[in-house]
Amino acid sequence: MKKLMVVLLFIGLVIQPALAKEKVAAKKEPIKVGAFFALSGPAAFIGTPTKLVAQMAADEINRQGGINGRPIELVFGDTEGDPTKAVAIAKKFIYVDKVVAIIGPTRTGTGMAVKKIVEQAHVPTIMTVGGDPVIMGGRFGSYRYIFKTPQRSSTAVKKIFIYLKKKGIKTVAILTSSDGFGKDGKRWLLKLTPQYGIKVVAQESFSPSDTDMTSQLASIRTKNPQAIICWTIGPAGSIVAKNVKQLGINVPLIQCHGLPDPKYVELAGEAANGSIMPSTKLMAWQQLPDKDPQKPVIARFVHLYKDVYHYDKEFPINTHSGYAWDALMILTRAMRKSGPDRERLRDAIEKTKGYVGISGVYTMSPKDHNGLGVDSMIMVRVENGHWVMESY
Amino acid sequence: MNQNLAQFIFSGTTTGAIYALIALGFCIVENSMKIVNFAQGDFLTLGGMFMFSMLYALHLSILPAIVLSVLAVALIGAAMERFALRLAKSKETVVLVFITIGASIFIRGGIKLIWGKSPKSLPYFSGAHPIDLLGARILPQSLWVIGGTIAVFLALHHFFHHTKQGKAMKAVAYDPKAAALMGINVEAMMMLSLALAGGVGAVAGILIIPITTMTFDMGVMLGLKGFAAAVLGGYGDVMGAVIGGLLLGLLESLGAGLISSTYKDVIAFVVLLLVLFLRPRGILGKEEWERV
Repeated sequence: MKKLMVVLLFIGLVIQPALAKEKVAAKKEPIKVGAFFALSGPAAFIGTPTKLVAQMAADEINRQGGINGRPIELVFGDTEGDPTKAVAIAKKFIYVDKVVAIIGPTRTGTGMAVKKIVEQAHVPTIMTVGGDPVIMGGRFGSYRYIFKTPQRSSTAVKKIFIYLKKKGIKTVAILTSSDGFGKDGKRWLLKLTPQYGIKVVAQESFSPSDTDMTSQLASIRTKNPQAIICWTIGPAGSIVAKNVKQLGINVPLIQCHGLPDPKYVELAGEAANGSIMPSTKLMAWQQLPDKDPQKPVIARFVHLYKDVYHYDKEFPINTHSGYAWDALMILTRAMRKSGPDRERLRDAIEKTKGYVGISGVYTMSPKDHNGLGVDSMIMVRVENGHWVMESY
Repeated sequence: MNQNLAQFIFSGTTTGAIYALIALGFCIVENSMKIVNFAQGDFLTLGGMFMFSMLYALHLSILPAIVLSVLAVALIGAAMERFALRLAKSKETVVLVFITIGASIFIRGGIKLIWGKSPKSLPYFSGAHPIDLLGARILPQSLWVIGGTIAVFLALHHFFHHTKQGKAMKAVAYDPKAAALMGINVEAMMMLSLALAGGVGAVAGILIIPITTMTFDMGVMLGLKGFAAAVLGGYGDVMGAVIGGLLLGLLESLGAGLISSTYKDVIAFVVLLLVLFLRPRGILGKEEWERV
């Protein structure tokens, strides 16, 4: 009996505190989230600030106590915009780092390459890519575990068509880049025109590394469209703007939702004036009506970005700046409810409802893994190098 | 006849002049070391970036900025010969070509560190107001590019055909040992050729940055196009570089305008292949005769 008492005492004194200690450690053990973006390569100027914003969001979350007491830890990777590299990093995230969830990558092509892998491994992934196929089913594969924070291309296309209809424009020419992003835009532009009573009178394309698009624009000019819609990201968009002015084409140039960026104005110079494009509200947030629920959220984000982290010196705020923030915030919101279990986390992300973010108010569903509608965008216009809200 | 034909031809000529300028850079190194210098495209990027800094960081006016940028890249070209190519123990062509690929990656990394990843642009040198010519609208900057290409071509043509130095350089390419026995300073010649290639690359970068904008990895794609142009015209021939460049530029622009912009690159490369099937040494390439 005495012996038993001693054993019990021993358990009480030694093992119990040891167990308790383990509990504290478990509480503080960080939750790992993989974050990979195009930090080099042609999309580096989008990927690098995305990484900075992801870190900023993680710091903010940890300052507010992390996820139920556990801090969030980002494991970074550089896809170089290369699908093969992206696949290698995704596998490392899943099997070596054993992350709970993933955010990124940057380019549609890399997103499509990792889609299958994260689906197979059942890892919830919130992407920051522009193209829609990552969250489309059918021949694009399943998208049970994949979500994305930037607006769908189709949402941006609808926003453009609503605007054109309001302006009474009935014929357009489309000029798209030959990469995944441009093809995605072209598909939606052609698919949605009938619904808005708009006719495509000319279709041209160019390679994103081309240095001159005057041949295509000269062909477009002979078809007399009432507006030109261009779909590309990167410097090619500003070359198109310059070429339009060079040829003296006077119809409005509509650019895609990937280009609202101070860089566009810097590269195109004078030729940028008059360009119209769909954008997140971030580009002209001060001009938003006060009743817009996103206004205070964006104000807080801009304050952190500019005054606390000073990112704006190297990377002035553009339409993409909020995607990684929204991705990580949606993930955190869901994880606070579900805990770090991947399957439960996936379900919780899918139930995201009314999250007021930088890029819109997100309400997801099993069918909609983006959760943003046309009301999350505004049309902006470049006027003397500044961004003006053209329509709300 | 297509009413845009003049526009297509002028656009193609401008693009072609850019390719020709890059092809000329390839040509110089071929004529001294008999190797393909894969850093040629990066010389172009460097030229554009130096120009950007000379104008915006040092606030120089255009002419001194051009001269200093060209000199800077020429110096980098010379350094590449002195501290990379010359130090190679093996002078096998494959080894030297791989060194140029390494130099290319090194330069790109350096550009990324110094100038960052975001694209750069400059205003047009003489205004954005296009000139009307035969129904086409041409930017004054295009005339700068075409004029620059003609100037570089004439200078190189004169150098290789009418100067002692130029002939000595070709002799080095043909047989370095025999050239050395004739009293030619082989190493100095190779260094000079890399410096020249750097300078020509810089000229290209400086002239095109207002038109094309410049990113750190721009040289890769343009370098490949320039290389294709050089092969098309006859690798190593100064005149061939210009003809190859113009032909490639015109094919792309006419292909995009008259046939289909989706397949313009395919059209250009099919013609490239056809020419090489019929004339494996390029349009102006000469058969090499070995005396036995």
